[in-house]
Amino acid sequence: MAIISAQGVEKTFRQPKRQSGLAGAIRSLFSRDYTEVRAVNGISFTIQPGEAVGYLGPNGAGKSTMIKMMTGILVPTAGTLSVLGREPHSNRITNAAEIGVVFGQRSQLWWDLPVRDSFDLNRHIYDIPTPRFAENLTRLTTMLDMGGYIDRPVRQLSLGQRMRAEIAMALLHDPKILFLDEPTIGLDVVAKDVVRKFLAEVNRERGTTIILTTHDLVDIEEICPRLIMVDDGKLLFDGELKHLRSALGSRRRLKLEFGTDPGPITLKTAHLVTDEGAAKHFLLDSEQTSILDVLTELGSGHDLKDVKLEEPDIEEVIRTFYKNKVQAGVAP
Amino acid sequence: MKLAAYPAFTATAFQSRLAYRNQVWSGVFGELVFMFARIAIWTSVFSTVASDSVDGVTLPQMITYALLAGPVLYWDYSRLLRDVGTAVKSGDIAVYLLKPLLYPAYMLANHTGNFLFDLLTVTVPVAIIIGFTVGLVPPASLFHGLAFLPFWALSFGMLFLLTTILGLAAFWLMTADSLDWFFNSIMTLLAGGIVPLWFFPGWLAAIAGNLPFAWVSYYPAAIYIGQLDPSQALTAFIIGLVWFAVLLGVLLWLWAKARHRLIVQGG
Ligand SMILES: Nc1ncnc2c1ncn2[C@@H]1O[C@H](COP(=O)(O)OP(=O)(O)OP(=O)(O)O)[C@@H](O)[C@H]1O
Ligand SMILES: [Mg+2]
Repeated sequence: MAIISAQGVEKTFRQPKRQSGLAGAIRSLFSRDYTEVRAVNGISFTIQPGEAVGYLGPNGAGKSTMIKMMTGILVPTAGTLSVLGREPHSNRITNAAEIGVVFGQRSQLWWDLPVRDSFDLNRHIYDIPTPRFAENLTRLTTMLDMGGYIDRPVRQLSLGQRMRAEIAMALLHDPKILFLDEPTIGLDVVAKDVVRKFLAEVNRERGTTIILTTHDLVDIEEICPRLIMVDDGKLLFDGELKHLRSALGSRRRLKLEFGTDPGPITLKTAHLVTDEGAAKHFLLDSEQTSILDVLTELGSGHDLKDVKLEEPDIEEVIRTFYKNKVQAGVAP
Repeated sequence: MKLAAYPAFTATAFQSRLAYRNQVWSGVFGELVFMFARIAIWTSVFSTVASDSVDGVTLPQMITYALLAGPVLYWDYSRLLRDVGTAVKSGDIAVYLLKPLLYPAYMLANHTGNFLFDLLTVTVPVAIIIGFTVGLVPPASLFHGLAFLPFWALSFGMLFLLTTILGLAAFWLMTADSLDWFFNSIMTLLAGGIVPLWFFPGWLAAIAGNLPFAWVSYYPAAIYIGQLDPSQALTAFIIGLVWFAVLLGVLLWLWAKARHRLIVQGG
């Protein structure tokens, strides 16, 4: 049974058209002009219990909007969404008791209180039995190394400390699903690492389903075996990170270096892109092709000195992809 | 919903205020200045008339009225207004939708914590200081003393409802600051916080006496000093309860609308 299932989910926002200047402001008081923004556009996926899924996409792709719909604080305009077997927004309170949510940009801790007191309030809000609360508190404090500041008021904490506290707070009531909207935003490398290791462990050891949005591919590499990529509200890719490369049409490069120029070479398994004589660059068209296939096809008799296979950097692939998209958008 | 959570919010609000306990002194000082200004005004008003009572009210009674209608009953609601207004404008209000709780009930619990804190640190000290320096009168009778308590509770509830309704209005108006100013003017006049309703021209007293604001300051304070007899007090209390029910309905309706807007339009 899927823990989350989305079928053709859409969300359209109506933004009142703003005209600039005073006259515009007055005019907009009377005219009911709206621009429609389709933030989520026909997204479908299912997530099984215990999965860890990374939700990736450029700014404005509709990631936060999707998280808000799954947590029940936004209603989809169309499509069906089911979380733990329920429609999230119409079962907001029941849903809220079984999920944990962290918004990287918005604190849920009580600003003036020590972290411990915020945690204690959550014990009341979620009605957590005292022994389980104590056990979870000890475990989370140790794992996230919060002992040093758990008694300090939240307003005195660094961003990294606060984020760890936010995540711990979202897990105190043993939620079945943990949603995180950009949990590593603004953190330094060390803090990012702590958070990533922790989330991966929670997912592995406690079986908590994790859905997180991010701009940072390392988050996905270290926490999420599965990646969902969206852009402009639409689903682009759903699968393992290592398959993303070919899905985006990016190919591996193969460089063959010869002792002496063997002359022109044409292969079925790889095609030549640059020929520098003794050094030749090929692109591998298929993910399935191995170096061995190429070398077998090439056969012996060449003075082959070195073989180098280059995996394109996935960040690079995505950057190129975004850039091409922007250019495509500009061109008529 | 977990009922035990609400007293915990009350305790938390109280505790949060302890973090800013330096502000207590300015609170006490401000209320004292305010009280002594009123005392000076009423003293000079009373010195211009020959008898020692005006409309059957003596100067000590008037000073007691001023203390009750001011610091005791019409206490600092602006914190609540600001909290609700800011939560609406910043969108933080969505965070409350993520928790299994009812936002207006959460605000009430919070408000109660602030009320208790102000009562202990500002209201009671100010009452004691005024009592010892200027003098205050006891309730007009045992009945009036006892009747003051339910009226006080109603006043607390009424101020909470009026303020929260106003705060939620920020959803549509997006300007809680000018609302604060507007509300304060209305309250100053219609609640009888500065000038009791019996000094109003008849028609204005009739209007103000039937609007919910009067239950915040005027009725409880007037009962305490014995301006209403038992049957008038009972009638006033019943009308007050009706207003309370109406405003509670308005608040819940507004909250439902606000929540709908929040989950459909995203704030
Ligand atoms: N409440 C709202 N009213 C109107 N438009 C909105 C609202 N919330 C989001 N949008 C629009 O919907 C689109 C998607 O926004 P969303 O916040 O989901 O993006 P995101 O993928 O989380 O981006 P980011 O990476 O910048 O956080 C954007 O074009 C945004 O302007
Ligand atoms: Mg976002």
